[in-house]
Amino acid sequence: MIIFDKVIKDYNGNTNYRALDEISLEIKDGEFVSIIGPSGAGKSTFIKMLIREEAPTGGRVLIDNLNVAELEDGQIPVLRRKIGTIFQDFKLLSNKTAHENVAFALEVIGMSRKQIESDVPKVLRIVGMEDRAVNFPHQLSGGEKQRIAIARALIHRPKILLADEPTGNLDMLNTFDVIKLLTKINEFGTTVILASHNREVVNAVGKRVVTLDRGKIVKDQEQGKYSI
Amino acid sequence: MLKENLNRVVRQGWVNFKRNSWLAFGTVGIMVLALLIFVGLVAFNVVSQITVSALEEKVDVTAYLNDDVSNDQAFQIVRELENMPEVSFVNYVSKEEALEEFRERHKGEELVQQALEELGDNPLQASLEIKAVKTAQYANLVSFIENSNFRNLIDKIDFYENEIVINRIQKISSGLRMGGILVTLLLSLIAVLVTFNTIRLTIYSQKQEIEIMRLVGASNWHIRGPFVIEGAIYGLIAGLVVLIIFYPVVLIASPKIQTFIPSVNLTSYFSNFFGQMLFLVIGLGMAIGIISSFVAVRRYLKI
Repeated sequence: MIIFDKVIKDYNGNTNYRALDEISLEIKDGEFVSIIGPSGAGKSTFIKMLIREEAPTGGRVLIDNLNVAELEDGQIPVLRRKIGTIFQDFKLLSNKTAHENVAFALEVIGMSRKQIESDVPKVLRIVGMEDRAVNFPHQLSGGEKQRIAIARALIHRPKILLADEPTGNLDMLNTFDVIKLLTKINEFGTTVILASHNREVVNAVGKRVVTLDRGKIVKDQEQGKYSI
Repeated sequence: MLKENLNRVVRQGWVNFKRNSWLAFGTVGIMVLALLIFVGLVAFNVVSQITVSALEEKVDVTAYLNDDVSNDQAFQIVRELENMPEVSFVNYVSKEEALEEFRERHKGEELVQQALEELGDNPLQASLEIKAVKTAQYANLVSFIENSNFRNLIDKIDFYENEIVINRIQKISSGLRMGGILVTLLLSLIAVLVTFNTIRLTIYSQKQEIEIMRLVGASNWHIRGPFVIEGAIYGLIAGLVVLIIFYPVVLIASPKIQTFIPSVNLTSYFSNFFGQMLFLVIGLGMAIGIISSFVAVRRYLKI
């Protein structure tokens, strides 16, 4: 269960412009939530709060009753291991190969080398990247990088999957593959939070839609459509 | 689990080193220069140290005894002097030994030998050659003798003739020591700072990587480990390169230095201390590499 309780976020103490302005909402385990809104609405900040990339200026962010803002430095990695994140800018490790990038998520949770060697090729096959395992990120196209990023976010079977514009660099065909993949993962019980400003993507999912504008929630619909 | 982690850290450190080879080459180069400065200073200190002690070795004072002093009385004085902490060594030269030495020294000089024969009597005085532990203590030592109860048994002390030379040697040696320490400290500090900054820049170039690792959920040690190993590899390689350069240079330079200062044999000195040098240079290189990496990574672990 994820709870946002009157969450406020200013950047650099700029109170005239709040990235998040007293946001409150609840996301149940196993839900699929699309967060939509124009650029600068606060979608990415919303995602950053959950992995504690940014701390809230005010209010509480609770994940399974754990206040994310109050985590000690040593506890932050433990939280992040429970969550898989597909970042808008991929955030792949540039001096590691595709295979090593995906394997990294498993090393981090302390999985044995043997297990890693057996799991990584399977997941690379799922995202259709088994032929590019030895390539470095700079040798991959935007869409290919995105698929590696998705593989890394999924491989450790996180309880929560965050996806920040995961289809931003993909053509229509690939986009729907990704959406299908996210829906599938959600069906297996993973909570999925998708931040997007892509109308087709959100409409294709057809699940709960939360609309943000200027840091405030302006709409929260159970079976929403993209409508701004 | 621990073994597996250790394996991973070392393997990853080595892979990073190979993949960053261009950057690593520069960092190791800087470390080599820094360590060369350091071993150069060690060599300089060794040379000046040996020169100074050779000079000091030559300094002693001689107290000439009156002719009526018996051997027993002389040994009494020797014992008393030897009990002083400032005295490192006392040598008693009896009248007969002095004559023997004199004869030996002027062997083949007819005139001198004849003059001795003619005198019939032994004209030389018995003496005590006294060495102090430190050059600076001679003045105290002499004033102690001057005020001692055996002063009336002593005819004269040759300290006063040598006083200026002794003082000068003492000034030079303490100057060299102080200067050596100061220069070593200063240049070592510069070398350490330059190395530290180079490693910091190397790690700065991987700032984003470190932040990404944090965001994916890696613990600080998981991230830091490979960087620390990479730093240690820099130090190890730089240390080895420095020794490979240093020893041939010593071999070539040693005979040349020896023509100026005969008592300085750098080749034998540094081959005797090969183990220590190996340990010192590589240890220092690795320590700087490890500490610099450790400190530099910490900055980017805040996210």
